[in-house]
Amino acid sequence: MSSLFGMLSIATGALQAEQGALDTTANNVSNANTPGYSRLRPVLAESDPFVVGGVTYGTGVTLQKIESLRDPILQLRILEETQQQGQLNAFVSAAQQAQVQFIPSSSDIGAEILNFFSSLSQLSADPTSIPVRQGVLTAAGNLANAFHNVATNLVQQQSNLNLTVSQDVQQVNTLTIQIAKLNTQISEMQGVNQDASALVDKRDVLIGQLSRLIDVSEIKSDNGITLTTSNGTALVVGQQSFALSTQTTGSGQLDIYSQGTDITTRLTSGELTGLVQSRDQMIPGLLNRLDTLAYSLATSLNAANTQGYDLNGHLGGVANGGQDLFVAPPAQQGAALNMAVGTTDPALLAASSDGSPGSNGNVANLLAVQNQPVASGQTPTEYYSTIVSGIGNDVSNGSAELSSAQSILNQLQDQRNSISAVSLNEEAAFMMQYQTAYDAAARVVTTINDMLKTVINMGG
Amino acid sequence: MSSIRINPNPMPDLLASLEELQQRQNTASLELATGSRINQPSDDPAGAAELAQIHAANSQADSFERSIGSINGLLSAADSTLGSVVTAMQRALSLGVEGANGTLSDSDRAAIVNELSGIQAQLVSLANTSYQGNFVFSGTAQTQPFVLDPTAPSGVRYAGNAGTNQVAIGIGYNLQVNLPGSQVFNGAGSDVFQSIHDLITALQNNSGIPAAVTAVGNASNYVTVQRVFYGNGLNRTGSQQTYLNSTKVQLAQQENAVSAADIAAVATQFTADQTAASAAMASLGRISQAPTLFDYLK
Repeated sequence: MSSLFGMLSIATGALQAEQGALDTTANNVSNANTPGYSRLRPVLAESDPFVVGGVTYGTGVTLQKIESLRDPILQLRILEETQQQGQLNAFVSAAQQAQVQFIPSSSDIGAEILNFFSSLSQLSADPTSIPVRQGVLTAAGNLANAFHNVATNLVQQQSNLNLTVSQDVQQVNTLTIQIAKLNTQISEMQGVNQDASALVDKRDVLIGQLSRLIDVSEIKSDNGITLTTSNGTALVVGQQSFALSTQTTGSGQLDIYSQGTDITTRLTSGELTGLVQSRDQMIPGLLNRLDTLAYSLATSLNAANTQGYDLNGHLGGVANGGQDLFVAPPAQQGAALNMAVGTTDPALLAASSDGSPGSNGNVANLLAVQNQPVASGQTPTEYYSTIVSGIGNDVSNGSAELSSAQSILNQLQDQRNSISAVSLNEEAAFMMQYQTAYDAAARVVTTINDMLKTVINMGG
Repeated sequence: MSSIRINPNPMPDLLASLEELQQRQNTASLELATGSRINQPSDDPAGAAELAQIHAANSQADSFERSIGSINGLLSAADSTLGSVVTAMQRALSLGVEGANGTLSDSDRAAIVNELSGIQAQLVSLANTSYQGNFVFSGTAQTQPFVLDPTAPSGVRYAGNAGTNQVAIGIGYNLQVNLPGSQVFNGAGSDVFQSIHDLITALQNNSGIPAAVTAVGNASNYVTVQRVFYGNGLNRTGSQQTYLNSTKVQLAQQENAVSAADIAAVATQFTADQTAASAAMASLGRISQAPTLFDYLK
């Protein structure tokens, strides 16, 4: 049979257990708004019973452990989507920034191409007029400027992206150092059977931040977790972190290195991937197409200018001792950035086809460039409009993917919250429940105390 | 009792949808302000490319119209000049007919010769007409086309060239805008200056007058035929202008079809989004003030 002291220890055990349970409520309520916090739940269990003379007596309750409610699989899905979202976000914002250069306006490249040819057709109607000739040179200057400005802005954007790459790499390194430290602390606590859920929450938040930047795969091991990129580059192994570094390549861009290996093109998601994708593919693609267009326009117009005679009756172009319409681009690469007008004297424009000043025969050759294919059979205007729709497609497809990634991420966060987030109503209910049980246990202690007094007075 | 636990914190979801509504309202107000649903290439990449083509076609049509404007001036100047030339030739012709009358005295013929010399000078001046600083009948040369030269058989020498200019007034449609003066005034057997020169000589010598008069008539007819070139040119620019106008109307319709915002639909959607946004904001406000079970614990 059980003793009064045995009963007392059952009641005090209950007091301890309920107090521990209330402690989780207090902690949950305090952290209701802490990002990444996973709510705690007390795990109460019956203590082992004992048997005396065929009767089994209970021995009360124990607070077995305090568990933290989290779904590791969901956490992994959130990491994946965060990476995806980080990449798309970086790409779309870069593409949107690049797109600004191609928004139709009265002074975009497309409009300046049209203005230039329109000024040429005025020259056709009045080939000897110096003001009209000057108008052609001004329009040519505006066209060259439009190419130059767009190319300059794109190159500038590229170098800004470069800066962000190096900042992101530094941030990755800061995060991996912190995660490795937390790994150490967590395995120390778990080594002595302590609850490390607060630190695990912190680590999850850091891994979430890391996964926004770079693609991260998480492997659980005995001494904490191992983080690698999806191609296997180690970021954190247990208590050690591996720093990434950047190095300038031949093209002047920063490549990302891990322990001597260039991993720039091996990253598959995360903000760094989006940045690299914009810097090394999207912008160079745009520049390359602008170069093709600028090179083709400058060389074809120069060639046409060389066929005719200027106002002085001399053959046009540098080759004939005159001036080229545009400074001859030495190579296709850089043609847009370096586009400039080569003719300073309007009289040197070669409008004449027969050497007499009043002839406009060569203007037709210059005008013909407007309808000549630049590349893939497209006229300059068609080619330019393909560039415009290309960047438009990049932005609109990227935005669509981004918004679907965002809504998936929201749903996953929703699910995570439905498991891990603190509900104040729930906590209030639990609090009442634990408090009532605590009151009851206290009442039991008082009763046993009375009974003990009765027993003591029996001797008196 | 067991039910699916719901996300106790709906705030981030509400904020996300509020942000999306805000974004949509921004887009809609831009569409309403510009009247166009393509305000940046990503709004409709294919449409943006199509718009660029339409703008190019429109700009080309504008260029052609401007060219037509300038060449119309040149063509009219040449046409009316040649009109004056023909009038002067007609006067010379009737003077010649008058001079052929055998009853005239020497002094009468001298008076006629005097007037014919005046006509001769007038014709040279007409042939040297310029339009906006350029000689109309000099070919593509910039020099004065007809100069007095006593060594020339007609007393007038052509100093221009035989060049002609063409101006594009449509895609692949080039219009010749001038005839060299040598063609207009120096027709083989119908040279304007030669015929007047010969008539004067015939009147002074009082011989071969009828033949000289016939030659003046031929030269006058020849110029009339040349003048048709300029009349035709004006006709062509006129009909091309009409064509370009209708092209531009078509282009405007096309542009409208590609890019015009459906104002009614956008405005309706805008209002709906606004209502949704204020509802979302109201519920955000309520949620932050909503009581929890804690408020009922005494």
